[in-house]
Amino acid sequence: MELADTLRPDGDPKGGVLAHLERLETRMHRSRKKLEEPQTVQAEESALVTEIQKLRRLRDKLRAEVKRRQAGFGLLHILQVKASTANVEPDQTWEITEQEVLERKWENLKAVLQAYRFTGLSGKLTSRGVCVCISTAFEGNLLDSYFMDLIVQKPLRIHRHSVPVFIPLEELSAKYLETNIQHFLFTLCEYLNAYSGRKYQADRLQSDFAAFLAGPLQRNSLCNLLSFTYKVEPRGQSFPLCARLLYKDLTRTLPTDVTVTYQGMDALSTSWEEQRASQENLFRTKPLHHVFTSFARKGEMLDMSLVS
Amino acid sequence: MDETVAEFFKRTILKIPMAEMMTILKAWDFLSENQLQTVNFRQRKESLVQDLVLLCEKKRASLNDAAILDIVYTQFHRHQKVWDVFRMSREPGEDIDLFDMEQFKRSFKKILQRALKNVTISFRDAEENAVWIRIAWGSQYRKPNQYRPVYVVYYSQTPYAFTSSSQLRSNIPLLGQALTIASKHHQIMKMDLRSRYLDSLKAIVFKQYNQTFETHNSTTPLHERSLGLDINMDSRIIHENRIEKERVQRVTQETFGYYPQPRLEFAQYKLETKFKSDLNGGILAEREEPLRCLIKFSSPHLLEALKALAPAGIADAPLSPLLTCIPNKGMNYFKIRDK
Repeated sequence: MELADTLRPDGDPKGGVLAHLERLETRMHRSRKKLEEPQTVQAEESALVTEIQKLRRLRDKLRAEVKRRQAGFGLLHILQVKASTANVEPDQTWEITEQEVLERKWENLKAVLQAYRFTGLSGKLTSRGVCVCISTAFEGNLLDSYFMDLIVQKPLRIHRHSVPVFIPLEELSAKYLETNIQHFLFTLCEYLNAYSGRKYQADRLQSDFAAFLAGPLQRNSLCNLLSFTYKVEPRGQSFPLCARLLYKDLTRTLPTDVTVTYQGMDALSTSWEEQRASQENLFRTKPLHHVFTSFARKGEMLDMSLVS
Repeated sequence: MDETVAEFFKRTILKIPMAEMMTILKAWDFLSENQLQTVNFRQRKESLVQDLVLLCEKKRASLNDAAILDIVYTQFHRHQKVWDVFRMSREPGEDIDLFDMEQFKRSFKKILQRALKNVTISFRDAEENAVWIRIAWGSQYRKPNQYRPVYVVYYSQTPYAFTSSSQLRSNIPLLGQALTIASKHHQIMKMDLRSRYLDSLKAIVFKQYNQTFETHNSTTPLHERSLGLDINMDSRIIHENRIEKERVQRVTQETFGYYPQPRLEFAQYKLETKFKSDLNGGILAEREEPLRCLIKFSSPHLLEALKALAPAGIADAPLSPLLTCIPNKGMNYFKIRDK
């Protein structure tokens, strides 16, 4: 009895031992509860958080679904879906939708169709026929492209084109367009590629090897007649030569007739005649700019031999 | 220097506007940079011209050099001339055209000079393998008149030649002959096509005006609403006949395409047809002879104006094929007779 009294310093003897025990019990409960509370709260909290995240995900998915059904196919929408699912835990895998697969196939196909022009002959269907694209090239360099709008009717006809006026398109189409379109296209490809190649060689000569030329390069629209005066060494003492290249075969990039003469000299000694003939042979067998590249290299080798 | 040549120089240089003087003289490439620097370009034009003529005299400029300066001036001011178009043809199955510019020039000169003793012929090479030819005509007894020259622009290995219209019509057949033979053709005929805009004429006959093609690589959308029917405009504006407007726009785009039209100033139609009338007994309806009348459409840019007619509501779409066939057929002079 005294114990209870001593526990209550204010001296209230209410309740006695049992009451005191009660009070101790309650106190113990409370303190235990206090220890437990954070855990349950935490557990409750985390449960709620997970619930929130789940609901958010569901909301986003539904939104995406709504948008998809409204807008149909669209790359933007796919990106939105991807963005909204980006908050997901990293280990969760989301499924690649059927639509994404189709999108990828579509992009791939478009890229293949675009790359087709590297084959030299490609086309695109138009509302009235087909638009043919001839992409020319020479020695691995992609050059100009030429187009033709064909209207598929009886008779098959060319609606418009970007083929230069000096290429005999009318002649070729009159001969082959109706009867053998494959032959027509391939022949036209030949003409255009050869023209592009000849033009490329003449342009290279004018721009890269101007130092070797003693006057302007004479040329024409088809680049099938080239006439120029040149020296084998740009700064050297060598004698100027006159070259005249005729390309009688419009489907080829090498000349059919070559005439090289020493400027102003008719009769030549044998060694000079040999040189002249070898120059002619060079132009007949190698593309124009390669011939001049070899002159330049010979010059370099000579320089190096002089130095050493 | 001959007095007439000096006078020719003076009048040619006087023609050049002050703002273009340096550019044109540089393009002429006869007076060097150093020589040009010795001249004061800020003085009055008359004195400047005198100084330049003196320089030319010192450098022993010839009549041909003056003619070349005249060509350069004309190249910069090509719109001041009206250009005709000639088309040449040759027999099919001919040898490959190995066009040699020097040979062409020699041949052309020889043919003219053989026929006319007094004629001045000058050449200036231009881009795209073309040549500008200037011809001053004289006669058996008179020296060439340098102030009424004819210009010819010829693109090698093409059947077309462009000539500046000249009042001296009598020499045109000779000019045509010289062109035909020198370029190794057999026949020449004048096209019913005329304009001040040489580049547009070239675009029309070389068919270079409609050059947007559909490819897999093109990113530009083909169907641009360029005629201004913007449906997303102010919502307070309601288009009552939107369907019709869209049809008109579609038809216009189909006819005129998506490219800038070549520039012509007029189209002329000479009618020689019988008058057709729905009403019976009109005065004109009973005539047997065809009604002769000339209709001329003029505009600073005729084809663009025609393109704008239907969308503006002034004409029905589609327009008459007589109007829309102009670039395709390469004609802006038409003679219409009863069939």
